[in-house]
Amino acid sequence: MLEILKRRLRTGTVTTGYPAVPESAPPGFRGKPELSGDKCTYCGECVSVCPPGVISLKEGNGEKELTLSYCGCIFCGRCEEVCSYGAVKLSQEYELASKTKDDLQTIIRRKL
Amino acid sequence: MRSQYVDTIRREFKDFVVGSAVPQDETYLTVKKGSDIKASVDAIRKEFGESIIEETARRNEVYLTITRDANVKVCDYLYHHLNAPLVSMFAADERKKDGHFKVNYVFSFDREDAFIILRINIDGKTPQYRSITSRIPAANWYEREIRDMFGLIPQGHPDPRRLVHFEDFPDGLYPLRKDFDIRTKPERVKGEYIYRRVEGEGVYEIPVGPVHAGVIEPGHFRFSVAGEPIINLEIRHFYTHKGVEKMFENISLDKAVFLAERISGDNSVAHAVAFCQAVEKIAGIDIPPRAKYTRTILLELERLYNHLGDVAGIATDVAFAFGAAQANRLKEDIMQLNESVTGSRMLRGVNTIGGVRRDIGDKRDKILLKLSTFQQEFRKLMGLLMDTSSVVDRIETTGRIHNDIAKELHIVGVAGRASGIDRDVRRDHPYAAYPELNFKVQVQNSGDVYARTKVRADEVCESVSIIEQALWHLPDGAIKIEIKEVPDGHALGYIEAPRGETIYWVRTEGNRIERCKVRDPSFCNWLAIEYAVLDNIVPDFPIINKSLSLSYSGNDM
Repeated sequence: MLEILKRRLRTGTVTTGYPAVPESAPPGFRGKPELSGDKCTYCGECVSVCPPGVISLKEGNGEKELTLSYCGCIFCGRCEEVCSYGAVKLSQEYELASKTKDDLQTIIRRKL
Repeated sequence: MRSQYVDTIRREFKDFVVGSAVPQDETYLTVKKGSDIKASVDAIRKEFGESIIEETARRNEVYLTITRDANVKVCDYLYHHLNAPLVSMFAADERKKDGHFKVNYVFSFDREDAFIILRINIDGKTPQYRSITSRIPAANWYEREIRDMFGLIPQGHPDPRRLVHFEDFPDGLYPLRKDFDIRTKPERVKGEYIYRRVEGEGVYEIPVGPVHAGVIEPGHFRFSVAGEPIINLEIRHFYTHKGVEKMFENISLDKAVFLAERISGDNSVAHAVAFCQAVEKIAGIDIPPRAKYTRTILLELERLYNHLGDVAGIATDVAFAFGAAQANRLKEDIMQLNESVTGSRMLRGVNTIGGVRRDIGDKRDKILLKLSTFQQEFRKLMGLLMDTSSVVDRIETTGRIHNDIAKELHIVGVAGRASGIDRDVRRDHPYAAYPELNFKVQVQNSGDVYARTKVRADEVCESVSIIEQALWHLPDGAIKIEIKEVPDGHALGYIEAPRGETIYWVRTEGNRIERCKVRDPSFCNWLAIEYAVLDNIVPDFPIINKSLSLSYSGNDM
């Protein structure tokens, strides 16, 4: 019993203040993928390698549209790996909860 | 050589090293010389020469195609005379190629680091073959699974009920046949599942599940009890069958790694590495040494947090809250370490065919520092846990699995080793960097919850030592080789996952997967629980369950 008390005191508090105190993910963390409309060439390379198939490329109405949905994203980073233009980057952001599915999509467009 | 780096660690971290993590005895593993499997193959040839149709060999796998009706006697010979355990069994639909289904029996020859795979051809018109379950009980679930997924009937199987499919699944629909389209949505039909019944005065049934109190997956447990002691337990699983093996056949190889990684969430690395190893074996490539060492480190980090979680679970179930909180804290430490090393708490997304995607060499000091304090605290915690009478009273003699039962059911991993089965894939079929590292396979004989906890505790210490060795000897060089094309072929991939022996059999054709059989350790070990609980009281069931550390997801693919 004494031993337990002693250890309990020695351990101290290990919980953190999150979410009141924001916590950042460590470097190298694979979080929310961000698309960059400036760099993207709409080649479709990321679409073909995405394991869960949550990136899609659409063409119509005189524009190209690249959609990435975080709903099924597994944060593997394959899109970032294959993009030769650096248009996809996995950020440090991990707080992705949202009220609607539409909020979980990121879309970039370019006029043809 | 070993003492050399132990000394280096001591010198470098003298402030942190309080004791030696590993026992200083002489039983340390020496790497086995791959002795010859030929003797066993010759013996089979001599005994059953007229039954062997075809013989092929590649690396350490010998494939013997035998006549359909010779399967019982040849399997029996391998199992009972050559003492080779049946480690996996699966079917493949190769009707397009030669008009036959193939049933494969994988036997492991641990001393020789080899596998003999017996195959029989089954005609699509008479899809029947003789069951081996009454001779080799470990074949029980495999044969039922094959019947459900391929429609091949094991004649003389003692349990004719379905296993994977439910009563509402229509007859004559077999998902793993090639003519079954993955998008099929089967109609539901009426049917009933009959449980075994125990009858007598004062005997009553307690149904538990499939929905459980915690956030765990579904499974039904039906206890027959007289008072508190359990007379019979029947488990029924496969409530959330996901068709993973079918999915493998419909995705490209590089995506398949991520699928393998998600079969059993907390055994991600083990599944991914097993899959990658099978494909690399088909391609005939040897991955760079740095990748091998990195994989070893990741595999052991995975073992650490899994074992810690199990120790915490056992402590929770015996109501030792302090121990549980401490074990969970240590587990969290490892998971945060995982995140800072690989970017993922579950160590995902690092493995790929041909090596690893991320170099962890620059994290060496961080890992070593963390592990030295971790080990110190873990040893203190285990000392306290195994010294607390309220804990030991609950776990000693509880949930005993006798050695002969464990052997017959082919219980793998910690549960097997706690019942005196001295098997460990890391030593018996070495892969990654294990042949170059020193470690001891931990074995206990009593087969109870205590033994399983002890094996886990000892394995944690071994894992720490393996990681330290691997980090000190991390070779320089590339971490990956690009593989563009994988030739047609087939091979086994095997891993000692935290839960035990995990076996993949992959067959490629035209740079895609033609068949991928996954044998998760839980597929073997779930059968053990029906025996482990006998004569125990109902309140001990959760402890026994936890100590076996069974995965729903890995079993129910």
